[in-house]
Amino acid sequence: MSRLVKQWIPTLIATVTGLIVLAGYLFPGQLLVYYQGRITQWRDVLIEWAVIVAAFAFALGLLNILHVHGGRVVHARKGWFYSLVLLLAALAACVPPILYGPSGALTQQMLNYVIGPLGASLAGLLVFTLTLAAFRLLRVRRSVGAVLFVLIVAVVLLGSTPFVGLEWLADARDWIISVPGMAGGRGLLLGVALGTMITALRVLMGSDRPHSEF
Amino acid sequence: MNVGAILLLTISTLVLVVLLILRGRKGPRPTIRPLPAFQHLKAQVGQTAERGGTIHVALGSGGLYEGDVTLSLAGLQTVKALAGDAISYGVRPIITVGDPTLLPLTQDTLRRAYEQCGLAQQYDPGQVRFIAPSPLAYAAGAGHVVAAEDVTTNVLAGAFGAEVSLIADAGARNDLDQLAAAATPGAIGALYPTTGHLAVGEELYAAGAYTTGERRYLVSLVAQDILRVILVLGILGAAALAFING
Repeated sequence: MSRLVKQWIPTLIATVTGLIVLAGYLFPGQLLVYYQGRITQWRDVLIEWAVIVAAFAFALGLLNILHVHGGRVVHARKGWFYSLVLLLAALAACVPPILYGPSGALTQQMLNYVIGPLGASLAGLLVFTLTLAAFRLLRVRRSVGAVLFVLIVAVVLLGSTPFVGLEWLADARDWIISVPGMAGGRGLLLGVALGTMITALRVLMGSDRPHSEF
Repeated sequence: MNVGAILLLTISTLVLVVLLILRGRKGPRPTIRPLPAFQHLKAQVGQTAERGGTIHVALGSGGLYEGDVTLSLAGLQTVKALAGDAISYGVRPIITVGDPTLLPLTQDTLRRAYEQCGLAQQYDPGQVRFIAPSPLAYAAGAGHVVAAEDVTTNVLAGAFGAEVSLIADAGARNDLDQLAAAATPGAIGALYPTTGHLAVGEELYAAGAYTTGERRYLVSLVAQDILRVILVLGILGAAALAFING
C-alpha cells in the first residue's frame, strides 16, 4: 500500500500529465481532428494548475527564507546582522504592494529606484569578476586553450570599443561572433535539446522518478 | 514542419531508448566516454570530509515549470549522487536554489538521502535554501553563502547565465575546489576560467550516469550520443546536398 501511494500514484500522475501536455503541443490539428480540441483544453487546464502550484511555491520560498535567516538572528549565529537586514528589507518591501497594490506609485518607485538600480549594479560587478577570472586563468592554467580564450575575449572587447585605429578589430570581432561563435552556440543548443529530450522521456517513461519516494 | 520534425525526433528517441533498455537489460554495462568534471565529484566529497568543511551545491535559477526544467532535474541528479556520500562522511551539504518550485523537490531529495543513511533525525530543511527569484540576486546570495559558510567544495550544476561568475568568483577568492556543469554559452564562458572541471552543454545531462552508475542513466547517455552522431551526419549530408545543388 505504501509503495502504491509513494511510488506508483505519483509516477502515474506525472506520466499521464506529461503525455497530455506533450500531445497538446505535438499532434498537429489535421491529425486526430476530433480529439485535438479536447487535448488542447486539458493541456491548458493542467498548465493553469502548474501556475497556481508555482504561486504556492513562492510562499514556501518565503517561509524558507524566514526559517534560515530568522534562525540565524534568534541564535545570534555568524552573520546574524546581515540576516536581520535581509528580513527587515523583505518586510519593508512587502508594505507598499500590500497598501497600494502592485501597480501603486510607491511600489513602482521602489522597483524603479531601489530594486532596479541594485540589479544593475550587480550586473556591473560581473565585468570585474569576469576580468578577474580571465587574469586568474592566465596565472593558474597556462595552456594553449587558456591563452586562446583570453586572446578572443580581448579581441571581442576591444572590437566593441569606438577607439580610432582599432576599426579592423571590429571586423575580426564580427567574424568571431558570427562564424565560430554562432557555430559553437548552435552545436551547444542541439546537444542541450537532445539532453532535454532524453531527460524528459526518462521522466515520462517513469524510469527517472524525482517526484516519488522510491 | 517544425512540429512534425520534433514529433519524429521524440518518437525515434523513445524507440531508441526502449530498444537500448531491452538490449542492455542482461548484457554488459554500456561504456561511456570519460568526463573529468563528474569523475572527480565523488573524490571531492571525501576530500571535503578530510578538511572538515562543507559542500555547497548551486542549482541555479531554473525551476520546474518553465524551459529550464530538465537542467534543474540534471542538477538534482548531482545532489542525489553527492548527498549520500557526503552524509556518510559526516559532511552537511548546503544547497541553494533560485526558484521556489525547485525548493520542495530538493528538500525531499536531501531528506531521502538522510533517511537512506539512517540519519533522518539529522536532516534540517534549512540546508536547502531559496535565495532569490532573480538570477543576479540569486548569484550574489549564493556567492555570500560560499564566502560566509565553512564551504570547502563548490559545485555548480543547473540553469545559469553569465551571473554564475559571482558565485565562481566567491569560490576562487576562498581558494575552493570548484566543479561546474552548465549549458548556456554565457555560463560556460564565465565558468571556463574559474574551474578546470567543467561539463559543457549536454554533458550536464550525463551527471546521473557518472555519479550513480545506474543502467537507466548509462543507457540514456548512450542513446543521446547515438542521436547526436545521427544529427551531425544529417547536418553534414544536408550541407553537402546544398553545396552540390549550388
